[in-house]
Amino acid sequence: MALFSPSPPTTLFTLSSKAHLSTKTQLTLFLRKSQSLVLLRSAGDNGAGSVGSASVVEEKLEKKEEAQKSNLGLKEEEEQGLGANGVSLKGEASSSFKDPRWVKGNWDLKQFEKNGSTDWDAVIDAEARRRKWLQETPEASSNDEPVVFDSSIIPWWAWIKRYHLPEAELLNGRAAMIGFFMAYFVDSLTGVGLVDQMGNFFCKTLLFIAVSGVLLIRKNEDIETLKKLLDETTFYDKQWQATWQEDDSTGAKKNKT
Amino acid sequence: MISPSNVGVDIGRTLKPHEYIGMVRRDEVLDAYLRERAAEAGATVINGLFLKMDKPEARSGGRYKIYYNHYEKGSVNGEKREMEVDAVIGADGANSRVAKSIGAGDYDYAIAFQERVKIPDSKMEYYKDLAEMYVGDDVSPDFYGWVFPKCDHVAVGTGTVTHKSEIKQFQAATRLRARDKIEGGKIIRVEAHPIPEHPRPRRVLDRVALVGDAAGYVTKCSGEGIYFAAKSGRMCAEAIVEGSENGTRMINEADLRTYLKKFDQTYWPTYKVLDILQKVFYRSNPAREAFVQMCADEYVQKMTFDSYLYKRVVPGNPLDDLKLAVNTIGSLVRANALKNEMSKVAL
Ligand SMILES: Cc1cc2nc3c(=O)[nH]c(=O)nc-3n(C[C@H](O)[C@H](O)[C@H](O)COP(=O)(O)OP(=O)(O)OC[C@H]3O[C@@H](n4cnc5c(N)ncnc54)[C@H](O)[C@@H]3O)c2cc1C
Repeated sequence: MALFSPSPPTTLFTLSSKAHLSTKTQLTLFLRKSQSLVLLRSAGDNGAGSVGSASVVEEKLEKKEEAQKSNLGLKEEEEQGLGANGVSLKGEASSSFKDPRWVKGNWDLKQFEKNGSTDWDAVIDAEARRRKWLQETPEASSNDEPVVFDSSIIPWWAWIKRYHLPEAELLNGRAAMIGFFMAYFVDSLTGVGLVDQMGNFFCKTLLFIAVSGVLLIRKNEDIETLKKLLDETTFYDKQWQATWQEDDSTGAKKNKT
Repeated sequence: MISPSNVGVDIGRTLKPHEYIGMVRRDEVLDAYLRERAAEAGATVINGLFLKMDKPEARSGGRYKIYYNHYEKGSVNGEKREMEVDAVIGADGANSRVAKSIGAGDYDYAIAFQERVKIPDSKMEYYKDLAEMYVGDDVSPDFYGWVFPKCDHVAVGTGTVTHKSEIKQFQAATRLRARDKIEGGKIIRVEAHPIPEHPRPRRVLDRVALVGDAAGYVTKCSGEGIYFAAKSGRMCAEAIVEGSENGTRMINEADLRTYLKKFDQTYWPTYKVLDILQKVFYRSNPAREAFVQMCADEYVQKMTFDSYLYKRVVPGNPLDDLKLAVNTIGSLVRANALKNEMSKVAL
């Protein structure tokens, strides 16, 4: 666990000094989340606020950070010492996921043997536990010990058995229905040439939507989430079309000039 | 690409020897190259900061008067100047003043935060010809975190649209995920940039057009903007050359709109597909796990690279498409099933 001392800035800092206020928040968050990197900063820098693309966001960001800061009740003086660069990164060992059966980035299937065959249920349990752990305490990725476990090695019947047939059947039934519908839909489009234009990537996208539809709409409340998604999608399209709508209203006149 | 549970896949395996993914290591170098090439082709390059412009009476055919600060080479003090021009192309980035001056409207933007980190040579070796993308709720709720090589250092960063105020936290998480690979590094510069999410409501007005980030041409999902900035610039210039019949006749808005039309027709499907992909796959950790699993598939890689390198959406082979669909459904189902299990687990 090495500690580096703060070193003086070596390059001109590109952000205006205002933006630095925010680093304080970061530190607090570090502490709160007990994450394993610590920032050490030396004082005193000032870069000219460049015309570059950064300025607007900075301002907006800054406002937000300020709001957040007051929420956290930070003191003025705290930020003074922190407003600069020349920072060293320091690694600190965090508690990493440990399980005797997790060996070299993989589940050691030998240890999951029960009556001569692999107990896949236990593998699923173990992996769910690992993912939950990682969600709460994200871990550094490693080149020395890459994760090689791939959930696709768990045979399909292990999942079906676990989730009992009814739900799986429901899913399959829905997927098949959507598949038929899509094939029909795509077919009817072929005549118009739309598919030609967009290629199969378009079909795939439709399929992804269908698939995620199947997965998402399990309960009625999911429909709300989906509606929101749809709204966003419409918004995106509107933005692209906006410039053309303007054209429609004034276009006739323009073309004469 | 590295998933929330740290499964990493190498997405460059299907590239042919003559194909490569270019990484812009120093923007200044690319910019200078383009400027010089323009000058060689006969353009007069002026080093100036655009301040504002006076518009001629709408559609009168009069000239635009632009006001700018002129900078001599190497000097920091600008000199106020003016110039009259026939048409204006705003290629001045996300905070475009040209866009403002034609009331182009705003766009949602993602904030991209990155730190330039000088890492020890031994660590730099790993990033020699590779970039990393991290996905997960920890690094960004709606984008990805990255480590990109930049000449003699790396850029470590992340972006988000929906949770801008928490960007520092995401940055910390990105650093944590890359910890072992950047350990001992020193931050030499911190940058924050806006990245447009969609085009501005108005991209052409009379004889003023916007291109690149000024117009808002960055794709979702991959966050790619350099290609489209260059391409839109070229299309716009070509439209002007054509509309003005090589400079012999005054152009009008309709001429600039041919650029818009061409651009939208050519690339809108690409933008749309990436928007949908982002919505489906960047929303939750299970979806991200499935996404990374999908990216490990050679067929997906081939398709992705074809569309990335040649900017065309190529029809695939139906059997492979079907296999892909089945595998993707499988990945999504598994990841979701595991998520359901996770909610039952107590640590
Ligand atoms: C952190 C980050 C990572 C990215 N990674 C990628 C990537 O991997 N691949 C990719 O394809 N894209 C990437 N992008 C997006 C890409 O950088 C942009 O989309 C692209 O640079 C847009 O080019 P542009 O010429 O439109 O704008 P810019 O590159 O922003 O250029 C605008 C220029 O105009 C100048 N200017 C601004 N205002 C004025 C004024 N008033 N007068 C005169 N000049 C002015 C600026 O100085 C600047 O030189 C990334 C963006 C960010 C922020």
